This record gives sequence, structure tokens and C-alpha cells, in this order.
Amino acid sequence: MFRPSAVAIAMTLALLAPLAARAQSKSELDDIRKQIRELKDDYERRIQALEKQLKNAEDAAAAAQGSAAKAEAAAQAARTEAEAVPPRQSAPNAFNPALSLILNGTYGNFSADPEQYTITGFQPPGATSPGVRGFSLGESELFVTANVDHLFMGAMNLALESDNTVSVEEAYFQTLALGHGLTLKGGRFFSSIGYQNSIHAHAWDFVDTSLVQRAFLGNNYGDDGIQLNWVAPLPVFVEVGGALGAGTTLVGNFVEGQPAPNPRNKNGAGAGSAWLHVGDDVGVSNSYRVGVSYLNQGTGGNVFPLDLDTVGGVASTFTNAQVQLYGADLVWKWAPNGNYQYQNLKLVAEWFQIRRTGDLTLDPTGAATTGGFKQRQSGWYVQGAYQFDPYWRLGLRYDELQQGTMDGGINAANIIPVDYTPRRYSAMIDWNPSEFSRIRFQYNQDLSQQNLTDRQFFVQYIFSLGTHGAHKF
Amino acid sequence: MNRLLKWLLPLVGTLAFGAPAFGALSVFACEPEWGALVNEIAGDRASVFVATTAMQNPHLVQARPSLIAHARLADLIIYSGAELEVGYLPVILQQSGNDKIQVGKPGNLDASKYVPLIEVPAVLDRSLGDVHPQGNPHIHYDPRNMIRVGEELKKRLAVIDPAGAPEYEARYNAFRDRMSVAIKQWEQEAAPLKGVAVIENHKEVSYLFHWLGMPVVGALEPKPGVEPTAAHLVELVENQKVHPAKLIVPTSNRDPKPSEWLSEQIKIPVAPVPLTIGGSPGAKDLFSLYDDAIKTLLAGLNS
Repeated sequence: MFRPSAVAIAMTLALLAPLAARAQSKSELDDIRKQIRELKDDYERRIQALEKQLKNAEDAAAAAQGSAAKAEAAAQAARTEAEAVPPRQSAPNAFNPALSLILNGTYGNFSADPEQYTITGFQPPGATSPGVRGFSLGESELFVTANVDHLFMGAMNLALESDNTVSVEEAYFQTLALGHGLTLKGGRFFSSIGYQNSIHAHAWDFVDTSLVQRAFLGNNYGDDGIQLNWVAPLPVFVEVGGALGAGTTLVGNFVEGQPAPNPRNKNGAGAGSAWLHVGDDVGVSNSYRVGVSYLNQGTGGNVFPLDLDTVGGVASTFTNAQVQLYGADLVWKWAPNGNYQYQNLKLVAEWFQIRRTGDLTLDPTGAATTGGFKQRQSGWYVQGAYQFDPYWRLGLRYDELQQGTMDGGINAANIIPVDYTPRRYSAMIDWNPSEFSRIRFQYNQDLSQQNLTDRQFFVQYIFSLGTHGAHKF
Repeated sequence: MNRLLKWLLPLVGTLAFGAPAFGALSVFACEPEWGALVNEIAGDRASVFVATTAMQNPHLVQARPSLIAHARLADLIIYSGAELEVGYLPVILQQSGNDKIQVGKPGNLDASKYVPLIEVPAVLDRSLGDVHPQGNPHIHYDPRNMIRVGEELKKRLAVIDPAGAPEYEARYNAFRDRMSVAIKQWEQEAAPLKGVAVIENHKEVSYLFHWLGMPVVGALEPKPGVEPTAAHLVELVENQKVHPAKLIVPTSNRDPKPSEWLSEQIKIPVAPVPLTIGGSPGAKDLFSLYDDAIKTLLAGLNS
């Protein structure tokens, strides 16, 4: 706007210049000067008027923009007010239980045949398995849970195996209203002994469980029975609990990859267990739980194989026995300021000892000898999972099993003691783009078998669909 | 000695009187703001245990043993609700063996049930991030909600501890009056903030923006619960040309780096507000929390 006016002045002056040159008299010159001044003033007035118009137009535009923004804000406020009305569900399925489905699969690479896997001195070939070669679907887990009423809640966990079988891993009720720190649980559930035992596979920090867990309890030792738990009325966590169960499988014994069945056909309980847990915070950044636990089972007349080296390789069987398991566990968690988002560390260490007392029969071709037998074996592991970034965790684990002591009684001369300490080193890294997904890579150097180093490599995915589950500490 | 007493006193108390030797009432508050509200309404009649701090991501709290121990002792549990505590609270309630604080009991106060929720998702799909079906659970940043929840809290306390009912009533009335006056003052003070567009971190301050009429034109998180990514931050830089924001408002529990980077790129100030009480040196109780947040926003705007 300004620019054309300036040009106009310049042009006018240019046109007037020759006029001025021609003017001779002083009065003429004064007249011309006056005219020029008038012209100049006129143009300046017009320029000012135009500038004012321009400013008005700009103000109007700004005001319009402002009111548009206001209208938008008002609309948004109206929208949010409308949203504020809580939704009223009248659907007949409003009481449906919380459902959650876990999808899980692995790719495994083993330098030694996993079907011939043994843990020397602990489990014979084929009794337990470290996994499957190549691609395999893991256990898909379906969780269903809801409050039954004001007194009970119920939960079920189905494991859909890759071989198209379904197993009821857990199906239990739990009381809500006993009060006084007491909770009663009944049905089938994972035992509360140890730390890792009651954690479902999808929440493990590694693809596989610890060696001691694998040798004594399997992935998760569960039983049918009842459990009572009491939390002491203290500002520090102190929990005492016990369970009675059917003892449907025998700890420390596996057959074809499954826990060895231990049928009883008797009234009463076939297994008893107890535990004590203590835990607290240490400052705002650290929390821990320590525990001790005990499990006792009887075999009755059932006969179980033991992985014993015998003279001539004769078979050994074990019966009329008491099998006891002693455990100690520690879990320690750290996060700066207790904020688990950016960084945190979880350390777990567990120790178990199994004590077998019963009758051992060695059968060198038709001349069976049965005598008293005592054995103590133990194992431990320590593992850490460090989340160094919101999405990434790095884990390290060391496993060791100890042959312990054995008293073969009258069969002692025919038993060759095992002198080998099964060990395993593991490292994993996992990527967790959300709370509902995990992709994991893991390497194991597995020295479970004497004179054999099994190099195992896994890629695993774990996806969680449906209800956001709550996990125990 | 103190540690020994921490053990012995309640033990002796329990054995002698069958109840913990703390204040008349034991309250478990999942977040600091609810602990502060209980202090306002119950005063010395209640001792409060607060499960989390303003420096923590409230979605990622662990079911710590200490939480089970304190839930076991509690007469009342108060929490934000709308699934904010879904990752740990169900475990705490189940393991506590405490019937008084189970869902449906007077001792279980889900604050989200007594306030209007905003940002209720129309579509529920986890591809949209960690959305909360009932709406945004970070209800504490609207001080009007404190009066609403305070009223319910007063009623619950009176049911649990009838002897204290007149005191709860009086304290609630005094709190409501003080808070109402403060709200009017804050609304006047915050008048210049009206219409000021902001970029938030997570939706933890939405209720404050909603209350003060501040439009949110972007979030550092590409989706709720998903960490800021480089690609998304570049999008925010582009978005600034179309929907210009005047402030970046992260909270005390979040990594400050993404907001600092964005601030440098788009040349607008960062005004970090406390997530809740304890998230800044100034935020000591409910009143100073909103005061601190509004002053921080105003200071950011004028810088």
C-alpha cells in the first residue's frame, strides 16, 4: 500500500521538476513550492487513511480468528462436558468375567538333541525337556477371573498346548471376606512354595525356568487342595501360609516330560506345604521379599525311577518314601525413585533341597535287593533382569545343581556316585513395546549333562490380549 | 531402635487391643493427593499410608510387599480408579486378607466414581495405546473434583468411624469453603491462561487444562503409554506450524529430555508441573499443588 503512494510522490516530483526549472520569479517559485507542499500533504493524508484502513482490516481479521478459537474452545468444552456423563451399560454381558489370552511361540536352536536331554544325576533322558528344535507354538494361556459374590472370587487358567491338548493349570476360588488377614483358597492352584513356582510362564524373565525348578518342580508345581494364608497386622510384610493337597504328582520325578503321577486312592491329604514370607521397602527405590518354604509328600506303594548310576546299569526303583523339599528365596527390586518406567532391576535368587527317604530296589536280573535309601540333592540360581530403557531389558542367569549326599544302605556297593555339577549360563534381551507385548532373544550354555555342552538359542514372542492383568511382586 | 519399635509397637498393640496401635483409623491412599485429602477431612483421626509418589509412573507400580502389609492394616483404601491401579491393586486387595477394603465395602473408595470423567474413548482398541475404558483416570488435577470426592470421603469415614462423624462433617465443610474460595482465586489468576494452547506429555494434566480452558494441541507420547519417539517429535515440530502451542507441560515423573528437545526446536518454553503433591518443592498439600501448577504455567507464559 505504502509503496505505490511513495512512487506516486516521486513521479509527481519528477513531473514538477522541469516546471520548477522553467519558473523564473520568486513568487512563481513560492507558488510552485506551495503546490508541491499541498500535493505532498494530500498524498500523506491519503497514505495515512489507507494505512488506517489496512490496520482496521487486520484487526477485524484477528478478532474473527480469536472468536473462531473461542468457539472451538467452547465446542471442545461442550464435547468434554458431554463426555463427562458416565456411560451406563445395560448389556446382559456386563457381568462377564475378565478374560485374558496369552499367545506365545518360540524358535529354538539346540546344538544337542533336546529329546535326549538329561540332567546328570537328577533326571534321566526324556524325563524333562529344555524345549523344541525349530519353530514351535508355546503354551497359549487363557485366564478367566471374576468375583463370584461378596464372599468369593474365582479364577481359571487353561493352558492350550501346542499338541492340541488342554490342561487346567489353575481353577480355584478364594475368599474375600474372612478378614483378619486370612485368605482361604481352594481348587487347583500353583503352590506358593519358592518364588518362581507360582509365576505363569508368560511372566517369566527368561524363556525357560531355572534348572533347579526344572529338576524338582517342573515349570510350575500345582496341586488340588486348599490353602490358608495369613498376613500379620504389622507395618512390615509378614505372611505365613500352608496348604494341604492331593499330592497328585511327585516332586523331583518326571516321566516323558510330565510330572510323575503319584495316585493315592486314600482319604486325607497326600501333600502338605508351608511358607513364611517377609518383605518391605528400603527407602523409596528398593523393595524386597524373602521367603522360606517346605513341602512334604509320600509315595505310598507307588514306584518311581531314580536317575542312579548302577553297576551293570541295572534299573533302580524307589518306593514307600517320604519326599521333602526345603526352599529359600529372595526377590529384590530397584527403580530410581521407585519409578519403574525408565530403569529398574529385578534380582531373584532361590535355593531348594530335596530329601528322599524310602526303599530302594536294585534288580540285577532276578535277584532284587531292597533296602533303605536316603538322598539329599540341592540346587540354586541367581538371575537379574535390568530394564535399561523403557522398552528394553537385559537379563543374566546362573544355575547350579549339587549332587549332595546319598546313603544307599545295602545297595550302596552297586551304586556309582555321580561326580558332576550340572550348570547353565543364560543371557537374554527382550523388547517390550508396550505392557502387552514382548519379543525375546536368549542364549543358554547348558552344562546339565556330563561331557556335553548344549548351546541353546531362542527367539520368543509373548502377547497378551484382553484384560490388563495384575502381577504379583 | 526405631526399626525395633516399628515392629514391636503394633505387635504389642495388636495383642493388647486387637487393633493396630496407630491412629483411630488407618487409611491406605494409592496416590499422594488422596492422602492429602484424607488429612484435610480426617485430621488426626486417621493415619495415612501413601503407596506412590509424584516421581513415579502411577500405571507401573509394583505389588510391593509393603503395600500388602499396609492394605492389611487399612480401614479404608482410597484410589483414583478408572483402571489407573489395575496393574497392582487387585493383587494387593486379594493378598491383604482384609475384608474391610474389598470392592463394594464402605472402606473401598474409588474416587473416579464420584466425578465426571473426561476423554472417555469412543473406540476401545489397544492399537490406540493404553487407553482407559472409563475415561481419563488422572482426575486429581481439577480441584473441583477434590470437593466431590471429599464429600464422599466424609460420608465413608462417618460410616466406618461414627464417633468421628461430626468432626468429619465440620472438617469437610471447612475444606469445601476454603477450596471454593481458592478455586475462584485460581480461576481469576489463571485468566491469562484461557485459550493458551499446550503440548502435554501423558494425559496426566488433562483435567487442569480442561478446568482452565487450555486447548491441548499435541502430546509428547505418540499414544497413551507409548514413549516419545524421534519420528513423533518431528511431527510435533511440523504440527507447531499448523496448530501453534505456547507451552510444553511435562510432569515431574517423566523424562525431561523430549520436552527440552522440542522446546529448542519450536522455541516455546517448558513449564514442568508436579504430577501431584511432592512433585515440586512448592506442592506440599492440595492448595499449594494447584497454586504451584498455575504459577508455573503463568511464569512459562510470561517468559
